Amino acid sequence: METNYEFFVDQSRCIGCQACVQACGECGTHRGTPMIHLEFVDRSASVQTAPVVCMHCEDPTCAKVCPADAIKQDDNGVVMSAAKPRCVACSNCVMACPFGVPKMKVEFELMMKCDMCYDRTSVGKKPMCATVCPSGALYYGPREYIEKHRTEQPINEFDFGGQKVKTKVNLMTAPEVKSFPFDVADFLPWEAQERDPLSLARAGVPDAADNAIWNEDVIAHPESEGTPV
Amino acid sequence: MASLIYSEEEYIAQYGPTPNDTPVNGWDSREPDKLVKTHCCFCGVQCGIQLKVKDDKVIGFEPWEEFPVNQGKLCPKGVKRYLQNEHPDRLVDPLIRTENGYREANWDEALNQTADAVRRIQSKYGKDAFAFLGGASMTNEKAYLNGKFARVALGTANIDYNGRLCMVSAGAANKMAFGVDRAANPWSDIPNAKVIILTGTNLAECFPILTDYVWRARDNGAKIIVIDPRITPIARTADLFLPVRPGRDSALAHGLLHQLIKNDWIDERFIEDHTNGFEATRELVEKYTPSLTEKITGVPAATIAKAAEFWGLAETSMLLHARGIEHHTKGVENVLSYINLVLATGRIGKPGSGYGTITGQGNGQGGREHGQRCNQLPGGRDINDQGHRNEIAEFWGLPESELPGEGLTACEIINDIEDGKIKGLISISFNPLVSIPDSKRTRKALEKLEFFAAIDFFMSETARYADIVLAGSLQEEDEGTVTTGEGRCVRLRNSVPPAGNARRDWEIICDLADRLGKGDHFDFSNSEQIFDELTKASQGGPIDYGGMSYGKIEANMGVFWPCPTTDHPGTPRLFEGGKFFHSDGRARFHAFDYRPPAEDVDHDYPIFFTSGRVVSQYLSGTQTRRIGGLVDQYPEPLCEIHPLLAARLGVFDGEVIRVVTRRGSMSLPAQIVKSIRPDTIFIPYHWPGKKAANQLTNRALDPISKIPEFKVCACRIEKLEGKTNPKMN
Amino acid sequence: MNKNAVTAGLASASLIASSILLGSRGLRHFDPALTTYALGSILAAFAVGYRFHLWYQRPPSRTYFVRAFQILVGRLPATYESSDRLTDAQSNQSLKQEVETKSPSRSSGVTGVATLGRAVSSKVVAQGFIRRRSLYRWIMHLCLSGGSTLAFAITFPLVFGWVHFTTSPDDAELYRAHLFGFQVDQFSVHGLKAAIIFNLLNVSAVIVMVGLIMAAFRRATDAGEKAVQTFAEDILPLILILAVTATGLMLTVSYKFLSGHGHGFMAFVHMLSVLALLIYIPFGKLFHMFQRLVALCVSLYQKQGGTGAQARCRCCNRPFASRMHVDDLKTVLEQLGFNYQFRTQKGSVHYQEICPRCRRKMFAVNQGRLLGR
Repeated sequence: METNYEFFVDQSRCIGCQACVQACGECGTHRGTPMIHLEFVDRSASVQTAPVVCMHCEDPTCAKVCPADAIKQDDNGVVMSAAKPRCVACSNCVMACPFGVPKMKVEFELMMKCDMCYDRTSVGKKPMCATVCPSGALYYGPREYIEKHRTEQPINEFDFGGQKVKTKVNLMTAPEVKSFPFDVADFLPWEAQERDPLSLARAGVPDAADNAIWNEDVIAHPESEGTPV
Repeated sequence: MASLIYSEEEYIAQYGPTPNDTPVNGWDSREPDKLVKTHCCFCGVQCGIQLKVKDDKVIGFEPWEEFPVNQGKLCPKGVKRYLQNEHPDRLVDPLIRTENGYREANWDEALNQTADAVRRIQSKYGKDAFAFLGGASMTNEKAYLNGKFARVALGTANIDYNGRLCMVSAGAANKMAFGVDRAANPWSDIPNAKVIILTGTNLAECFPILTDYVWRARDNGAKIIVIDPRITPIARTADLFLPVRPGRDSALAHGLLHQLIKNDWIDERFIEDHTNGFEATRELVEKYTPSLTEKITGVPAATIAKAAEFWGLAETSMLLHARGIEHHTKGVENVLSYINLVLATGRIGKPGSGYGTITGQGNGQGGREHGQRCNQLPGGRDINDQGHRNEIAEFWGLPESELPGEGLTACEIINDIEDGKIKGLISISFNPLVSIPDSKRTRKALEKLEFFAAIDFFMSETARYADIVLAGSLQEEDEGTVTTGEGRCVRLRNSVPPAGNARRDWEIICDLADRLGKGDHFDFSNSEQIFDELTKASQGGPIDYGGMSYGKIEANMGVFWPCPTTDHPGTPRLFEGGKFFHSDGRARFHAFDYRPPAEDVDHDYPIFFTSGRVVSQYLSGTQTRRIGGLVDQYPEPLCEIHPLLAARLGVFDGEVIRVVTRRGSMSLPAQIVKSIRPDTIFIPYHWPGKKAANQLTNRALDPISKIPEFKVCACRIEKLEGKTNPKMN
Repeated sequence: MNKNAVTAGLASASLIASSILLGSRGLRHFDPALTTYALGSILAAFAVGYRFHLWYQRPPSRTYFVRAFQILVGRLPATYESSDRLTDAQSNQSLKQEVETKSPSRSSGVTGVATLGRAVSSKVVAQGFIRRRSLYRWIMHLCLSGGSTLAFAITFPLVFGWVHFTTSPDDAELYRAHLFGFQVDQFSVHGLKAAIIFNLLNVSAVIVMVGLIMAAFRRATDAGEKAVQTFAEDILPLILILAVTATGLMLTVSYKFLSGHGHGFMAFVHMLSVLALLIYIPFGKLFHMFQRLVALCVSLYQKQGGTGAQARCRCCNRPFASRMHVDDLKTVLEQLGFNYQFRTQKGSVHYQEICPRCRRKMFAVNQGRLLGR
């Protein structure tokens, strides 16, 4: 069944609840194995989480690096999980995907990845993750809804260094952005720089990180305050 | 006689918790016979969900996108809730305790023995020596029936429920301020608010579905203000975060009101026309300057001023709170102080403007409305009000003199059991050993009971102490209704019959009543009959369900009370036109000065301790600790510590530490995170025994609502020598 | 037309053709009735060779074959043989284990052969990975692959004239089996051995039928499978195998129970279906029987990679893959026309040097940063 529904991802809305992870395994093509990724960026620094579904590249790197022709695209551009008879579990796709999507199930010798809940979307239903997502971080529906209700802008082009990647799935970003400038430089430890790179995860609301209350004083004098004079 | 008969390991081996990972028919071929439109069994949002049923077994779920509240959205608990069915731990027979352990019994035997014990204890010690404890995860029908059973069949005043641990302080405050206890607005008003204060609510983890409502408000240009000692997921991207020191909430509210008055951001007209008591409040908050408020609450003065500005200048606003400000010995005062902000700006009872407490339990709202509470009769009537007593006594066909008076609240019942004043107990869907503060004392109390019967579907940690365990029903094994946190009464549908020889809870209660000689008052043959009696009982009361029926609720996907007549559409938004439920139609300001928590930090216990939930677990975990995926998501409690505090204590991430309070201690791994105040630690409370956060908490009660102070006490942290783990990556 | 691939096709076709010539002793033992089958086989051999070469030429496949060869003959570049984990001071315990279990790199050729042997037995013969995916599918696949292998093992030598039977000049009831023209056995037509030999093809057909029924049931009932299966990829091969098997069995039925009724027609249909199947093999799902050769190379590659030098993520500094794999992928990506090189003011980074986990996290942090969240 054809619909004009599209997938929109806005990771900044994610609350890390894992409803998507739990629901992903419930899909008929996934059989108890969740394909979606959801991790804390750096739990010690922040509660920020990174939900990642397959972005379904127009020219999928994963399929190109597969030595066994195991990864196919359907007519609508959905990049499928590895074909079971072909996959040789070499992990080329896992290593090459710019978004870090494919998962290697070592015991099955099989790569499995998000296939946009093919058994659902191919009959006009929404993917499990985007149906249950309570925060709107994962949304599957008409583009008009997004244009009408969101202030962020959907784009589907990414610049990974010298590589431009176009995807079927949209990412919500700032209105002026036309092609997503994927930056690595700021997140790598360079020479003479000791910090943990991912501590750039947003700690919290703007005032929280530098707020006076997060200093040593509050531990040093715990009993000094509390009763109005 | 109620001490444990097995070792911990034996209980677990026999009755779990066993994590259930796989649907009953496996992962392949999951085509159902039918999809049953019903609701999730967890939390007060009551998301719509469709259960997949095949051969009378629940084999999975399908989102229910047509239900307007959640539109198919679910949290992880909702997704995996179907796995509580067909569960290996499920109790399928009544059990009677013998010297050699539990034996399976038949129903006649179990019910007769229970009735005998009730008679024996009540004739020896008096009617009130037998108590009844209910739960707020049960349907309206069962909550009504529990209240009637306790008063009519047991004749005891001592009936209360676990909502006493949940939001009774908010309920009491709502009654004091507005004359009625219900969220003022439907959730659909949230996206239309231009500023939202979320205070003491870890909304994204405890009511995940409401996140989308808040983000939609932000999409419409709303400012989001979060007040919490922790940067919770909803706080991370908020516009303003007020990191309040635990136990200082009313002071912060006063500080905000001070700013509103000072800048003339209040609605004098509304205050004049629709409220009483503003002058005393104005005088009280006079002294709460930003600098004093900063000193008390730990929130920077500039942030307080900014928050007041956001709130003060907005056209529409919504104030939402949950357990964070309610679980205090001044819970009622905290809530009233925040309600003052709403009343002062007159932004209530209008589209996009209002107020609400976000109820935590599945039927936290409905469970507290129709007489399951020690001071309340059906329809939200007051048990101490002579007129209300007469109405219900007549409705139930009893002389008013036989209707018991106000009894003890849940924690007080446990206290009285410990003191030997209460000798017998029937509990249903309540696990106080995990959920009540100071669990050492709860255990002592349970061991003292002369007779204890527990109605439950799993062997909860509390049920292990029972003499008789009556195998009751899961939510999906019965028809019924629940009333959600927004006051919407929705339909739960029977999906499958009770497992094995287990019975529906209301059948057990009615049969017990029959054996106690009151069968003619409990002559029900289905849930709908109980609901119809409930609606009639509520008619004319403050909480009026009089015009509701199963058919009407189904047709409208829920009906908001009050709904007094059959042609009444229900009332999604309360207080429209500034009409409140007090007899004079006016709302009340309350001027309670800030006072410190029952136990504050000091030299010996210098760190604030606070407790709460994680997204993958629900309450005492009786259900969610039995669902594999949810257990994996957060397997055991961790102690959140700020790196500054950790550095001072020499504690590293993953190290097992001991947290000590005046009540007890527990050892658990430290989780070092910048998302918590450096003077505060946090432990989630869903686990029993040595992993129970309630070993540490303080059973000090709010004087008005008798809610215990879960959210703040004083602790210290000790290193376990020789038990350090290497730093985990 | 790819010239090299044509050459490869011609080579494999001529291999088959010459093996027919040699094996049948210059067509002396070749059964002319089977000419069509033989020509079909030669044609299929051409197609397989052509297709295999096209596939082999692709950078990712070629890399695995080349590396596997290098490992087998002990010619892997030295940089991939040592392990930098030896210098990892972070974990003393794992360091010790590493030293004890690390095999000397010189012997990589020998261990390579052992690894290859193990891979053949576990992956090609036992197919344990399918069992772990699903027991049902394992049984199904063993029936299909085992039954077909048996059938081909019987029919190809007969078609190619490598094996033929004669009756003993002394005793018409005594059969003689010849391989490449040499007599290898002699047995009575009424004996058990004769019964087995003459019915082996029927046995294989029955085994294949069991697998087919299991496969058909699964494709008809499993919701997930129904969603992703396609006719050309998943249904057609089952139909072709069914056609071959069913017509083959009917030949037996025809001459055993129907006194040869319809035998000629059935033989014709059987021949057509066999030809169709042979021609389908290189172009559809069944080509996996050749492509899975690379799984053996992957076994060698991963075994070597596990003991060899590890690549550490430029972001989190954790080892995440073998250095050989990361370097090979850089080359493969470049050969495929991708350019994942980041040139920044701080320096140059290839995206392959960052582990997938950190890529996902950076994705979220980048997105949040653009929105100020």
